[in-house]
Amino acid sequence: MILNSKIPEGKLEDKWRNYQIRSKLINPANKKKLNVIVVGTGLSGAGAAATLAELGYDVQCFCYQDSARRAHSVAAQGGINAAKNYQHDGDSVWRMFYDTLKGGDFRSREANVYRLAELSAPLIDHYVQQGVPFAREYGGVLVNRSFGGVQVQRTFYARGQTGQQLQLAAYSQLYKMINLNKVKMFPRSEMMDLVVIDGKAKGIIVRDLRNGEIKKYAADAVVLATGGYSRVFRLSTLAIGCNGSAIWKAHKRGAFFAGPSFTQIHPTALPQTSESQSKLTLMSESLRNDGRIWVPKQKADSRKANDIPEEDRDYYLERRYPGFGNLAPRDIASRAAKERIDAGYGVGRLKNAVYLDFKHAINTFGLQTIKDRYGNLFKMYLKITGIDAYKEPMQISPAAHFSMGGLWVDYELMTTIPGLYAVGECNFSDHGANRLGANSLLQASIDGYFVLPNTINNYLANALQEETVTIDHPQFEKVENEAKKRIQQILDVKGSKTVDHFHRALGEIMWQECAMSRNKKGLEQAIDKIKALKNEFWKDVRVTGHDKELNTELEKAYRLADFIELGILMCTDALQREESCGAHFREEYQTDEGEALRIDKDYSYVSAWEYNEGNFKLHKEQLQFENVTPTVRSYK
Amino acid sequence: MAVNTLFFRKTIMASTGLFLCLFLIVHLSANCILVLPEETARQIYNSYSTTLRESPLIKIVAYLLYASIIFHTIYALLITIRNQKAKPQKYIVNNTKANSTWTSQNMGLIGVVILLFIVIHLANFWARIKLGIGEDVALDSSGHLDVYEVTYSLFQNIYYVLLYSVLMIPLGLHLNHGLKSGFKTLGFYHKKWTRIIARISLVYSALMAIGFGIIPLVVYFK
Amino acid sequence: MEITFKIWRQNSPKTKGKIEAYKVDGITEDMSFLEALDHLNEQLVLKGEKVIAYEYDCREGICGQCGIFINGRAHGPHDHITTCQLHMRSFKDGDTIIVEPWRAASFPVIKDLIVDRSAFDRIIEQGAYISAKTGTAPEANAILIPKEISDKAMNAAACIGCGACVATCKNSSAALFTSAKINHLNNLPQGKAEANNRVLKMTKQMEQEGFGSCTYTGACEVECPENISILNIAEMNARHTKAKLLR
Repeated sequence: MILNSKIPEGKLEDKWRNYQIRSKLINPANKKKLNVIVVGTGLSGAGAAATLAELGYDVQCFCYQDSARRAHSVAAQGGINAAKNYQHDGDSVWRMFYDTLKGGDFRSREANVYRLAELSAPLIDHYVQQGVPFAREYGGVLVNRSFGGVQVQRTFYARGQTGQQLQLAAYSQLYKMINLNKVKMFPRSEMMDLVVIDGKAKGIIVRDLRNGEIKKYAADAVVLATGGYSRVFRLSTLAIGCNGSAIWKAHKRGAFFAGPSFTQIHPTALPQTSESQSKLTLMSESLRNDGRIWVPKQKADSRKANDIPEEDRDYYLERRYPGFGNLAPRDIASRAAKERIDAGYGVGRLKNAVYLDFKHAINTFGLQTIKDRYGNLFKMYLKITGIDAYKEPMQISPAAHFSMGGLWVDYELMTTIPGLYAVGECNFSDHGANRLGANSLLQASIDGYFVLPNTINNYLANALQEETVTIDHPQFEKVENEAKKRIQQILDVKGSKTVDHFHRALGEIMWQECAMSRNKKGLEQAIDKIKALKNEFWKDVRVTGHDKELNTELEKAYRLADFIELGILMCTDALQREESCGAHFREEYQTDEGEALRIDKDYSYVSAWEYNEGNFKLHKEQLQFENVTPTVRSYK
Repeated sequence: MAVNTLFFRKTIMASTGLFLCLFLIVHLSANCILVLPEETARQIYNSYSTTLRESPLIKIVAYLLYASIIFHTIYALLITIRNQKAKPQKYIVNNTKANSTWTSQNMGLIGVVILLFIVIHLANFWARIKLGIGEDVALDSSGHLDVYEVTYSLFQNIYYVLLYSVLMIPLGLHLNHGLKSGFKTLGFYHKKWTRIIARISLVYSALMAIGFGIIPLVVYFK
Repeated sequence: MEITFKIWRQNSPKTKGKIEAYKVDGITEDMSFLEALDHLNEQLVLKGEKVIAYEYDCREGICGQCGIFINGRAHGPHDHITTCQLHMRSFKDGDTIIVEPWRAASFPVIKDLIVDRSAFDRIIEQGAYISAKTGTAPEANAILIPKEISDKAMNAAACIGCGACVATCKNSSAALFTSAKINHLNNLPQGKAEANNRVLKMTKQMEQEGFGSCTYTGACEVECPENISILNIAEMNARHTKAKLLR
């Protein structure tokens, strides 16, 4: 199968317009007859569902949370990028396009990334219209700040709650359409499988989490907006419920999975402090503007941070990257921290953290200035750790944060299964091998609000001529029974270990071998270990309660079963890609100074994996760079 | 759109409450006459009460007053019933003192105590003077009903004095929470002014409680 | 640490619930409260018992899904936090902790500590939005909003919809939640066009959902993780009166 990315003709700047001119339209009377399922209610899901409903489609929308408002888009604090050039500092669509493409280490499509940058400005207009209280100047115009190391100020924000405020706008817009009876909302409903009929996505199987009932829903197209899968590492900055099950089920039904090993590790999260820890809280990256990162020069130094004199401290980022110092990009900073921790210099109770010290900044700028800049973050740190970071250094540590990988989609955001779309973090489209800060809210919103509603018609126009599939089609019953069987199988194991036990074991393997730094031997071993873990899981997991009730343990179990399989694919992908690019760092491929070595002549493609009875087959989508020349990222 | 009962009922509560607050100021001012030297007090107090009884304007105000008490009570009851229904199951442990004052949590209870006081108070004075129930009220030297004597003799009884004085404490609490909340119900939300209103409520309620509470004692020891 | 949890167990909306005690060992101070419950659940699984059902998602205080009444207070012993931000260092070794679900007629218990807060969604549905379609927006800076106004809207918009206000209110009033949303939108120029309709429809829905009325105990603003001021309720009252008068 040759992957067709369906990139439109024309100059880069004209491609999206050319696409819209040529795509098929559906008249309003007919749109009513077309039913679309949207799974997930984050910015991409809620944005898509609301906009599709506004266009006239009949929409059914699902989320596993108790309300559509809870989707994990709420957690993004920093902001959202847009090429508005309000600051008059030389920003433009082109510059934003280039920053994003370069940030992704040239492993994404030019046309997609350009469209992302191009639609960013109207997106801010949209959110302002919907009532998002973005930060403002006294005179009333919008404020911007810089973010993620780019040279212009293009980030819009709403206090520390940008994600929450955008999510509320999307959720409210969704509820507006629910009120108009154009969307039917199903909260506490989890997609268990995808129904594919004659090669086309025609519906989903859903578990009602309140009572365990399995239900069938048919539609003319299915949109997945189910977010990232970094919970495969167990400890991550993601919400506990975030999972990869929906896209994994779609993958097993024929959708290709692209760049699965491209996962971003954020350098400034709070370290794990105990075995039973469930979550790593993110501390804003902005702290690195004033904090200095260090570890003791002596291994396993037992002295308290403040008792270690300057000469015994190793400011390793400043030492290794004098040009960027503590502001080195996310992947570099994370990797350097891991190197020190692995070498035995880690601090904290579990020796898994590094210090982020504000002593010097407080001495230079005064306590009040630091309080003004980071007061809320220091307060949050105190709340979680009980430590006053004005008096002693913070302890931070890298944490899994975002998955650039996801279902392979073409320019229309359609997966390799016709009629199945993937939007937001669950697809692989715009971020390449690494995502720039404040680009995730952007991509999710653009996919949902602007792209999908303008591409889905191109497919649905044909669906009008076809016979409508209902849930009475035998394939629905077949898939429903498979879903029921899988749940029963988990309950029937009745083993001796908890789901969390297996999740911890999987997380440990993935974190050790498939996170910040990877190597051939480790990955090969990891695949074997995960396969063994999979066997053990199906032999020895214990889930209490039954399937006809609200059973949180069962939910965790079936999500983990999918994570285990996904882990194998992630390692397979990391093993196959014999180069270092973005967040993917293969120890064998580095420069003499220990920097990532990208190999464009062999690996300038998107890896799209096809599922085949537990094995994975690689398909390559070659990346064409017609407008930019891939360069080496250097931060010395 | 039908009447939104949540808002309607609360508005009635607030407006009747605020009217009663105003009334109390007038009432306390009149009571202050009682602390004057005996003969002066008797004369002024009796002629004042005669004026009140005979003024048609005061008659209207009096009916408004009765209505306020009755509506304030009825709507308190209606609101409480609905509020109870909104929380049918109580917590096994509820540490309300950590987030709110005892008064604010118990306005209903305090209200019942005050209502009982009002009943006693009306029986002591209003019933005797206006309805003529019980012992006849004598006339003073100017030919006015000797209301002063009624008051004076009641407060020779230490139990009544204590009752009247002590029950002014719940009255003060009720007024303090009620007054500032009433303004919120009526839509006063300005940050600075709300703070000022809260302070005024505190001063007002303290004045009322102390004023009403101390006069029976003064009369008793006169 | 060793902690005794006394937890409300209720199998389904229709069955009766009761408090059950669990003595749990091996709790560390660094654990969050929810992690301590996770820890307890793992022990229950190994004993073959059903796990305790409680809600959580982000575990960093922003999604609003977690919400438990702990030792007599919504979200536990501290002001202005969510349950997931509560850590076991706030308790002492040997403590007994009473754990109950949110109590309100409009928040029926689904199971154990999980309640149904969909009443909030239905209030939102009645008008917590700007009726403008995607694609119709004017240039963002064409709408000037002074910082003061936008900050005020943001203060109200910060609500995460956890329901602590309703839980702690002796009347189960949803006034803080509803007023925060109304004031967020009605303060902004974008929200003015539908302002009167919004306040009337949303408050009507609030009433129909069976929430009680506000008696200004002020407990809600103390328990609110986002520190939303009770003055929002007064502002909603003013807006409601105005809308009624102008109809």
